Amino acid sequence: MGVTTDQDEQTGAPSPGSDSPSRARPRGRGPVATAVSVFGELLITAGLVLALFVVYSLWWTNVIADRKAHREADKVRDHWAAEKDPGPGALDTKGGIGFLHVPSMKNGDVLVEKGTSTDVLNDGVAGYYVDPVKARLPMSGKTGNFSLAAHRDGHGAKFHNIDKVREGDPVVFETKDDWYVYKVFAILPQTSKYNVKVLTQVPEQAGVTKPGHYITLTTCTPVYTSEYRYVVWGELERVQKVDSERTPPKELG
Amino acid sequence: MYGWIWRHLPGNAWLKALISLVLVLAVVYVLFQYIFPWAEPLLPFNDVTVDNQ
Repeated sequence: MGVTTDQDEQTGAPSPGSDSPSRARPRGRGPVATAVSVFGELLITAGLVLALFVVYSLWWTNVIADRKAHREADKVRDHWAAEKDPGPGALDTKGGIGFLHVPSMKNGDVLVEKGTSTDVLNDGVAGYYVDPVKARLPMSGKTGNFSLAAHRDGHGAKFHNIDKVREGDPVVFETKDDWYVYKVFAILPQTSKYNVKVLTQVPEQAGVTKPGHYITLTTCTPVYTSEYRYVVWGELERVQKVDSERTPPKELG
Repeated sequence: MYGWIWRHLPGNAWLKALISLVLVLAVVYVLFQYIFPWAEPLLPFNDVTVDNQ
């Protein structure tokens, strides 16, 4: 095999490997050259792994999350269709409580589930807050704030286009029996991630002082990072009963 | 490193290439299935809620 003498190696160090030269290293490279070469290959590998991580974060997690969300959404819809009269325990919050439609985000209907933990949101859904401020669900009929969070990128990226939402745009929440039509009235493009005041039942940061039926959408901003939070507020305009065809309200037309 | 792996794969060049491909796919699978899901929550790229630390 291509074994060269020790004199050929750049290091000039006395070769300890000369007792089994044919196996020790290929083509007579010195230990330094070998180390540099391995180091270089490790750097290339690290670069490739990081590139793969980007692919994973921005594409693969969406594939997985959308698949899961579709399955869950079908389950909820089937459940609604099957259960014509609400029996005991009508408010089943396990698999999802309804769907959020934001036409200006162009992302179809987003399943809404309980909680904003990573486990929940990674399934490609929007979650309503239970902590630090508990969201007031619209079905309760009481005044308060229906606060939601969803991913901006990856894992379904349900609120990716939140920056396309303008004041006056409709936000519709669909439950088994009702369409809750909200209208966006305030937008906070950037705030601290510790700013939990945006979730209060009367979100004063949105410029309101009276109790009302509010909805709050939160996600991270700028895109691809989590430095700040983006917040959109809406107020309930009307509630429309779901008819037998589930005809969507005119805002979704 | 990769040269070393290549030399230690059995068979001729075609077989080596085939095995290499399988190995690469296996690595990508392990990364996507186990390593990245583990690493992602540790990185500050996708926290969307207000409240958390």
